[in-house]
Amino acid sequence: MAAQHTILLVGESNVGKTHYGAQFLKRLMVKSCELKMTGAPTNLEAFTTALSCLTEGRATDHTPANIYTESVWPITDQAGRYAELVWPDYGGEQVRSLVTQRQIPAAWRDRVIEATDWVVLIRLHSLRSEDDLFSRPLQSFAAGEPQGEAAEYELSDQARAVELLQMLLYLAQFNLDRPLVKPRLTILLSCWDELETTEMPADLLSSRLPMLWSFVRSNWVSPNVLGLSALERALSMTDADREYAIRGPEEFGYVVLPNGARSPDITLPIQQLMAART
Amino acid sequence: MGESDLNFVSGKIKPITVGIVGPESAGKTTLLGAFYLLLGKGTLTDDANLFSNSYTLAGWEAVATYLRWKPGQPPSFPPHTPSGAARAPGMLHLAFRREDGSLRDFLFADAPGEWFQKWAINEQAADAEGARWIARHADVTLLIADRQALAGPKMGTARNDFQLLAQRAVAESRGRRLALVWTKGDVDVAEAMEAQIRKAVASHSSSVPEFVVSVSASGMTDAAEGFREVFDWVLCTKRAGVDLPMTEVIGHDPLFRFGRR
Repeated sequence: MAAQHTILLVGESNVGKTHYGAQFLKRLMVKSCELKMTGAPTNLEAFTTALSCLTEGRATDHTPANIYTESVWPITDQAGRYAELVWPDYGGEQVRSLVTQRQIPAAWRDRVIEATDWVVLIRLHSLRSEDDLFSRPLQSFAAGEPQGEAAEYELSDQARAVELLQMLLYLAQFNLDRPLVKPRLTILLSCWDELETTEMPADLLSSRLPMLWSFVRSNWVSPNVLGLSALERALSMTDADREYAIRGPEEFGYVVLPNGARSPDITLPIQQLMAART
Repeated sequence: MGESDLNFVSGKIKPITVGIVGPESAGKTTLLGAFYLLLGKGTLTDDANLFSNSYTLAGWEAVATYLRWKPGQPPSFPPHTPSGAARAPGMLHLAFRREDGSLRDFLFADAPGEWFQKWAINEQAADAEGARWIARHADVTLLIADRQALAGPKMGTARNDFQLLAQRAVAESRGRRLALVWTKGDVDVAEAMEAQIRKAVASHSSSVPEFVVSVSASGMTDAAEGFREVFDWVLCTKRAGVDLPMTEVIGHDPLFRFGRR
């Protein structure tokens, strides 16, 4: 009767999926969080490198593009709810190519259909904000020679994020006639420390990606937006951070809750998903 | 989005189709691009109409990409929409969720200006099939008046073309919503010319709403404001529905609504 929580963790490359997974696992191991591990995880291969890097205070390498592994973690929360958490690790390029190639590999299709909760990682800091005619008007139009060839273009970051969610919704066969209750959606704004802001996570999302926020708000009944800093500070891949090595990676990292409060327990986003279920 | 994909949207409920009617290079595609840019900034609509989804995000991006600053390249205008042999216009889709939770689909038809010019001259012109399509299906028509052309060296031709087009569009609209949109609003046009243009659409009804849009901010006014006004007007389109009589009854059971007068 174990509730199985299969998390669909969606994030493009370099948003910190592996770091979050490793830090989450570390928290479970040292039992310094709301959730407890009640058995042994199945396969930790994906995170061993990351864990050993973090223990030394170094950042881990990029996950290769073609890799996809899943690790099952048996957990319970404070209220005794038991769940099996299926945590994936993969190269983020896969997500980008879903949108650009408009093709869904069969493996991804199964994942999307099985997933009970969607967690989307967005790293606001690495998104481009483009100027256009409204934000930076042209002074004269005389220079605007019509271009002969249709110029190459790629989707803006915001459109790509919306398109990705639309594709996943289509794939999972949800229709949008009414706002969705399931799958529950959590948006994690990763690498929160880079943003150097004191805004609420949802406010920040609405000011930086208004179209995405409108999309999310109009199609989900209760989307959850949190800030996440899995490492709390930028780590280098070569030079070890002394403090990390001494105190251990479990002392670092925090989440910013929807009300703006900071908590060192980075398992809270998942704990909230579990609690909301019953 | 082409004719065959329309089933996706129209299978559920007939979407509200917005036809943008105007001569070549009047700024029809730019108008659409501007809508999309504002949508991306979250300032196109307010919470009463939240953007919900779009089947044609890539299409919107394609029309808006020219209005963005790219490294080493200032924004330009979208290239001429090719007329080709297609018989139905390209469609751009947007769905908005209203406060009551319902979704409303909009289709914006982006058609090449030549279609309309040929259609204005000959309603049955062989290569104006697309223009006829729009005239037949559009719930809302935005009639574009190009201020630059109306003030340019060929203003006489532009005026004449517009009058023909307006006549045709007004005749075809048969009471459906129609608005006059002045594009390139930063260009000054002789007052007598404005009056002529207004007269051309006035036969529709005495009060055709008018909007002025421009992508270049003139003076204190925000360039985005004009586009937003047009869009608001489009959004409040309703399809004539059936009005059920409301009766004053005591009690809440709708079964007893009738027959207790």
